[in-house]
Amino acid sequence: MATSQPPLRFTGHHNFVYRLVFATLAGRTVHISQIRSSNPTNPGLAPHEISFLRLLDAVTNGSQMEISYTGTIVVFKPGLITGCAAGVGGNSSGVINHELPANCTRGVSYFLLPLCLLAPFSKAPLRVQFTGPGVITSATPTGDMSVDSVRTAILPLYNQFGIFNNIELRILRRSNPGPRGGGGAGEVQLVFGHQIRLAKTLHLMNPGRVKRIRGVAYAVGVSGSNNARMIEAARGVLNPLVPDTYVFSDVSSAPLVPAPEKNNPAAKKKVGLGFGLSLVAESSTGCLYSADVISPVSGGQAPEDIGKQCAYQLLEVVAKGGCVAPAAAPTMLGLMTMGSEDVGRIQVGRDVIADESMIQLARDLTKFGAPGWGLRDAAGENENGDVVISVVGRGIGNVGRKVA
Amino acid sequence: MIGKRKRDTSVVSRSIKTKDQEDTPTAVDSSYQDVFRKFFEAEFEPLEVPGGKIARAEESEEDDEDGLEDSEIGSDWDGISAEEDEVNTVEVVDHADSSANAELPLDKKARKAFMTAKLPSFSWDQTTAKRSPTKDEDGDEDKVSDANNLKNDLALQRLLQESHLLESGSDLAPTGKNRLKALDLRMQSLGAKTSLYHQQNMPSSQRRGIKAKAEKKEDKRRVEARENGIILEKQAPKTKSTQGRRERGVGGPSIGKFTGGTLNLSKQDLWKAGL
Repeated sequence: MATSQPPLRFTGHHNFVYRLVFATLAGRTVHISQIRSSNPTNPGLAPHEISFLRLLDAVTNGSQMEISYTGTIVVFKPGLITGCAAGVGGNSSGVINHELPANCTRGVSYFLLPLCLLAPFSKAPLRVQFTGPGVITSATPTGDMSVDSVRTAILPLYNQFGIFNNIELRILRRSNPGPRGGGGAGEVQLVFGHQIRLAKTLHLMNPGRVKRIRGVAYAVGVSGSNNARMIEAARGVLNPLVPDTYVFSDVSSAPLVPAPEKNNPAAKKKVGLGFGLSLVAESSTGCLYSADVISPVSGGQAPEDIGKQCAYQLLEVVAKGGCVAPAAAPTMLGLMTMGSEDVGRIQVGRDVIADESMIQLARDLTKFGAPGWGLRDAAGENENGDVVISVVGRGIGNVGRKVA
Repeated sequence: MIGKRKRDTSVVSRSIKTKDQEDTPTAVDSSYQDVFRKFFEAEFEPLEVPGGKIARAEESEEDDEDGLEDSEIGSDWDGISAEEDEVNTVEVVDHADSSANAELPLDKKARKAFMTAKLPSFSWDQTTAKRSPTKDEDGDEDKVSDANNLKNDLALQRLLQESHLLESGSDLAPTGKNRLKALDLRMQSLGAKTSLYHQQNMPSSQRRGIKAKAEKKEDKRRVEARENGIILEKQAPKTKSTQGRRERGVGGPSIGKFTGGTLNLSKQDLWKAGL
């Protein structure tokens, strides 16, 4: 998309993906500089950021990007979000195959969340398959949520914006972080088949009460009894509070990646072993809160500890209040900004809004031309010291749909 | 102690107390702890002495002892002696775990609904057993009577349409050959082009005979009706099957007839060709 406007200038590597996503949605060129420029050993873009740029290139048509020699400066000129129309992007079956390198330390949810934010505004349905030795489906020590949480706690939120059809997130092969936190050779397929012109205006003011808790305990390449132990510990904490608590167990074998040796070039090794727990609490008004804990890469933590920790983490997220969990806030607020030119309101906990990354998100959005957020204290019966954010939609929505 | 630790994992509700008991320092322990404490206080700030904790632990032990003695009144056992207590402390194992009690057989449907690639339906229990009885209670009589009415209506319609097939008034549903005929009628009413039992291939003379018979019957009916002054439906206009020239195959001669390797031209053909 040709824009005569000067590029928006950002500094630092924080909020990198959302800056690029909003640049693509708003059709503005961005210039991001000083990306880890003060880091003497690893300056510039990290492998996962490069990988995200590649992904963005794959789902859009006509994107241009320039990366400086050291990788500390990126200029990104977005194209149209085309998705996977027949013959455009992807292989013969219309699936974009995105391979993540082995040195990628972020979970696949790092890519999924911004991609899902783009997908409703693409021209054609989006089908992306994440493969390669760097796909970690579990939560990661770097702070990403697990794919299960994305599917059960983030994607259902799109329903509130009128996006619900034909959305699938298929976990073909599970993987925990590999040795030294690197990739784990999992496989995930995202199908996002509901494209819209404009997101519906959202008014979410009533958090309700948590009525049920669901979860997935996963063990990759380790004994399934770990799952049972995690589940028991988590239920020990949660059952007295919410009787409707189910945690499902998923045991899978570890993915094999080729590891050629001198005398055995066909050798393979198992990577991404471990276990973890993902919990989702649903409130009576459909608000979702999630928690994720995994076994540390170095091992040495009992499944009971993981289960208990995850349960407490879930309770903490619920205790933060509001209608949105911190992990889902960028998605919700991003979609509200992309909505019709109307004021949407959402109630969030004070701790959720008083977060560094949220403030950064707000600043970035204003820089992209979105009107500033209106903040006021929540009133009425659902108060609890929450804050109501009023977001005015930009009314631009899906450029590809407008033309078509 | 190592073995004991391992067993502690199965102790759930009272584990804190047993830990306290383990932590209770003996006289030897406190002496070297004192040395460390003095050294630490000399270097840094004075520490708070955790005396209260010890006292509480001892108290609780005594309480336990008392309780046991109370319960054993009447038996010839005369309580636990103090020395025994120090050696093997009473370990309370509580097998009544709350989560174990609540362990329900996992609903397969729930698992299926949650563990698919699709977005999890959090509301699956509304579609299954829980919802259905409530629905029945709500809709109750209206729905039942509606369904009954529909059923009766359909039966009446069918009776009217197929009554000519019925042999006796006793059974209202056609049976045997008549059932098949009735089915055929229903198919035709639903839009079938021809009857299922329409014979496609038969000798031409036979077909002509049947046709002639049908025509004769129809004519007779019309004549009788006219004589009796009954007005019948208008006769459908007869589609005159054009007995003219049949469509010939492709590649044939444009004029004449090609038979036996020769092109035969009739007088008409010659006239047409202008010869």
